[in-house]
Amino acid sequence: MSSYPNSPALSHNLLLSITEQMKLPLVQIARQAELAQMGLGSDFSSIRTLAENGIQLIDGYSLGLQLANMHNYELAPESVSVSSVLYEADQQLRALARLYNVEIELNICGRFEPVLAHKHGLQAAIVGLASALIEALPSQAEGKQTKLQLATHRCRYGIVAGVYADLPNLSSDTLKRGRKLYGNSRQPLVTISHTPGAGIFVADTIFRAMQLKLHISRHHRLYGLGVVLQPSSQLAMI
Amino acid sequence: MNKPLLLVVEPDGVLAGSLRAALSGSGYDVVHAYTAQEAVIKADQSIPALVILELQLVGHSGMEFLYEFRSYSDWERVPVIIYSSVPPGEFAGSRETLLEQLGVRAFLYKPNTPLTELVQTVNNLRQMVSRSNESI
Repeated sequence: MSSYPNSPALSHNLLLSITEQMKLPLVQIARQAELAQMGLGSDFSSIRTLAENGIQLIDGYSLGLQLANMHNYELAPESVSVSSVLYEADQQLRALARLYNVEIELNICGRFEPVLAHKHGLQAAIVGLASALIEALPSQAEGKQTKLQLATHRCRYGIVAGVYADLPNLSSDTLKRGRKLYGNSRQPLVTISHTPGAGIFVADTIFRAMQLKLHISRHHRLYGLGVVLQPSSQLAMI
Repeated sequence: MNKPLLLVVEPDGVLAGSLRAALSGSGYDVVHAYTAQEAVIKADQSIPALVILELQLVGHSGMEFLYEFRSYSDWERVPVIIYSSVPPGEFAGSRETLLEQLGVRAFLYKPNTPLTELVQTVNNLRQMVSRSNESI
């Protein structure tokens, strides 16, 4: 796969990954609807959450492709508060997390200055990463409730925005292999997820288009995926 | 009378919930495992009457689970249904191994298989197994 964000190979692989991934919410919705028909109880709010999860993935894919292929597509970075992006992502993810018995923690304590980023892109990428990990986490915890943390913290290169969980198998090698395999393998991240993990590769595409790079990151003994953002010189609004 | 126990090996928590609801509603006890390792532990705790298996699991695959499962004499005759997101055409080359060596009794492609069809397949297999046990 080319490392250029607008490469046709990337678009092709991303499309394959998304189509495979989209089967999951569609099958989940079909089975929930069937349960309702069988009179075995199903809840419409679950169906709605699953549908919205699929729509978010498609929206992220569409945004990633637009950002990667259209150089002038509103890419101008703006001054963005990472805390507010994580807060909004948390609100978007709560219902899905509940369905998977995953608890979301928002760790935005500490006062960080705004960063330079494309706000909509940053939020879509964080939601994509988190959704992929929410689907993957229960397999690692054998049914016990698991936690996913949306966090921001400072590192020597800037301010990190990321998603973190107790996932010791999430390593740089895992991500490197996944980047090579996605679109060609049903499980490019086989040590952490049973899904194609498309949300992670959509996020990767969005970050690349924003001239940022998705990294493996550690925070408070948790393993995660994060991006380093540069502080904006603009004064923070209080 | 005890209900027959089914072991469902399904890595997705939401789909596992749907399977549990449909199978419990049809008169079965269901024990669920997310991974191959967990499935072996659960099977060891109480021998299932039948296993429903996804091949795409985190870490060890469904195929690896099957080889491990069949290596124990207690579990040699437990029927296995593959209920997977992997289209059957993709493991056509392994079909004979799955049928003859690993005792797989049915292949169901998850996206195209309604819960009613899965339950019907389980019922049919249970009847076949009881008939063959009676004839022995």
